[in-house]
Amino acid sequence: MSAVIKEAAHGKTLVTLRNLNKHYGDFAAVDNISLDIQDGEFLTFLGSSGSGKSTTLSMLAGFETPSSGEILVEGRSLVNVPPHKRDIGMVFQRYSLFPHLSVRDNIAFPLAIRKLGSAEIAKRVDAMLKLVQLETFAHRRPAQLSGGQQQRVAIARALVYEPRILLMDEPLGALDKKLREDLQDELRQLHRRLGITIVYVTHDQEEAMRLSQRIAIFSHGKIVGLGSGYDLYQNPPNAFVASFLGNSNFLRVTASSHGAAAFEGQSLAIRLTSGLAADQDALIMVRPEKALALSTEQATREPLPAGWNEVNAKVGEVLFLGESQTCQVVTAGGTEMTVKALSAAGMPMQPGDTVKVRWVVADACVYTEWAESDLSKAAGAH
Amino acid sequence: MLLSPNAMGRPLRTGLYLTTGIIAAFLLLPVVFIVLLSFGSSQWLVFPPPGWTFKWYDQFFSNPEWMDAALASLKVAVLTTFAAVALGLPTAFALVRGRFPGRELLYGLFTMPMIVPLVIIAVAVYALFLKLGYTGTLFAFVVSHVIVALPFTIISIINSLKLFDQSIEDAAVICGASRLQAIVKVTFPAIRPGMIAGGLFAFLVSWDEVVLSVMMASPDLQTLPVKMWTTLRQDLSPVIAVASTLLIGLSILVMFIASALRRRNETNA
Repeated sequence: MSAVIKEAAHGKTLVTLRNLNKHYGDFAAVDNISLDIQDGEFLTFLGSSGSGKSTTLSMLAGFETPSSGEILVEGRSLVNVPPHKRDIGMVFQRYSLFPHLSVRDNIAFPLAIRKLGSAEIAKRVDAMLKLVQLETFAHRRPAQLSGGQQQRVAIARALVYEPRILLMDEPLGALDKKLREDLQDELRQLHRRLGITIVYVTHDQEEAMRLSQRIAIFSHGKIVGLGSGYDLYQNPPNAFVASFLGNSNFLRVTASSHGAAAFEGQSLAIRLTSGLAADQDALIMVRPEKALALSTEQATREPLPAGWNEVNAKVGEVLFLGESQTCQVVTAGGTEMTVKALSAAGMPMQPGDTVKVRWVVADACVYTEWAESDLSKAAGAH
Repeated sequence: MLLSPNAMGRPLRTGLYLTTGIIAAFLLLPVVFIVLLSFGSSQWLVFPPPGWTFKWYDQFFSNPEWMDAALASLKVAVLTTFAAVALGLPTAFALVRGRFPGRELLYGLFTMPMIVPLVIIAVAVYALFLKLGYTGTLFAFVVSHVIVALPFTIISIINSLKLFDQSIEDAAVICGASRLQAIVKVTFPAIRPGMIAGGLFAFLVSWDEVVLSVMMASPDLQTLPVKMWTTLRQDLSPVIAVASTLLIGLSILVMFIASALRRRNETNA
């Protein structure tokens, strides 16, 4: 567990979602979600479209009413509080600035609605303009700003009334890659500086990894994985998360004895897994970059160390991707695997070569329950 | 594109321009004729006019009957405009934002006066107001005109409301504004061009409406088109051409305003 997460885990709970449901007719958009959001954390809802992440955010904002369940902020129910009294900040995907107002008046809007004095409003708006570095654009209309500038105005408008929770619904989705990465860095610094609780929705896993302290992975209206990006990636709680985050190799095995399993007639060592009985089917998952592909000569030079597995395979394709290279291989039993290595390490094999694929036993996750659809990419939507 | 003017051959293009010109002339000629005749010196509406004069304009503006009719028309049109916008605004919101069964049906109902023959509406409204004793009142004129003007107003407001990104209104709500405050402070300014265009349409519908107005009119209260209609049946005075010119003039002015507003809205969006 990383240091950041330990910090967050020590914090107190700010928002609690308890058995939250949202049904549209027979369709469960959000299916019995329970979640604690820590005070001051950056939490991301990650999932494909239709996975329930945006509906959950909408219920937090108050634009959707839960079919059942509770939303608590510091123990007080929010369900019957209308959105304009929730004191929550929100940044929308399409910026949603008021087109007829200047940048300054957009940012001042929440304060004017709260009937603050004009001197106080001016002071706070100036501070916000400075925070998002838009002082020189104060008198422009939103239409005269670039997408990135508009989104900074939207962030300033959402922060100016000092809400404790900031909701962000795919706020960078409409921007190009370079600008998105710049704003991600700004956002991370802003979060560190202000200590505000941010709940962020995205379908972009790299963005989720870059920004968040914790990620909640949504699929079919449920949270199927919750933890730091590091933990979810290195030790996915289930085959769906393993396949959804990054790339993965799945090997179908049959457990034989404690800590061992049969794969295509060969014996492999597996992690000790509770609830795994002899003769039970199981799945082991190896990340492509945790696997090594060795030519026959290399393999004879370097005997298999203790705590490693090895299977024979034939090279199908070698791809050069810049900083890394991948090698697709197929085992004798027809299982396809991908091995990934940094280009600097070199990958001297050719299609058709026989290789030995090796990995550390402890690096491979073992799953006893899974659905076939979990193993294909982008299966999170309804 | 298959039918781009640049891609088609020269003969085809010439033919297209010619047809367009003939259609435009066919539509515009009566208007041009009537405007010219209003300045013609012959009292028999002879074309080409033997000479030019302003005397029919003098007659029009010095005749209290014509002036009363013009004033009544203006009054009815302005009241119709405001009533149509006031009723059309909530209707458009309900039809765009509402999630209730029968919404499509209701939309059909509200736009039906555009398809139903005017004379049928006129007879129905006449029968009702006759029974209630409202015929010949300003109220009857405005109500009957609102019935036929409302579809145009509703469609115009619906169009701008559909183009409006509702998350902007949601943003105002999450910023602390109640739904009503958000609509008034954010949504209304954004759809204002649609509201104004809808109002101008209502004005135009009322301004040249004759079928309903003939039914609603009384000797004390009649609109300009009704006065033209009744005068026409007695004699063919060039003063009618003057009234026509004024009707056309104001209609063109209103259309210019509407298109200028639309253009400004497009450059803003």
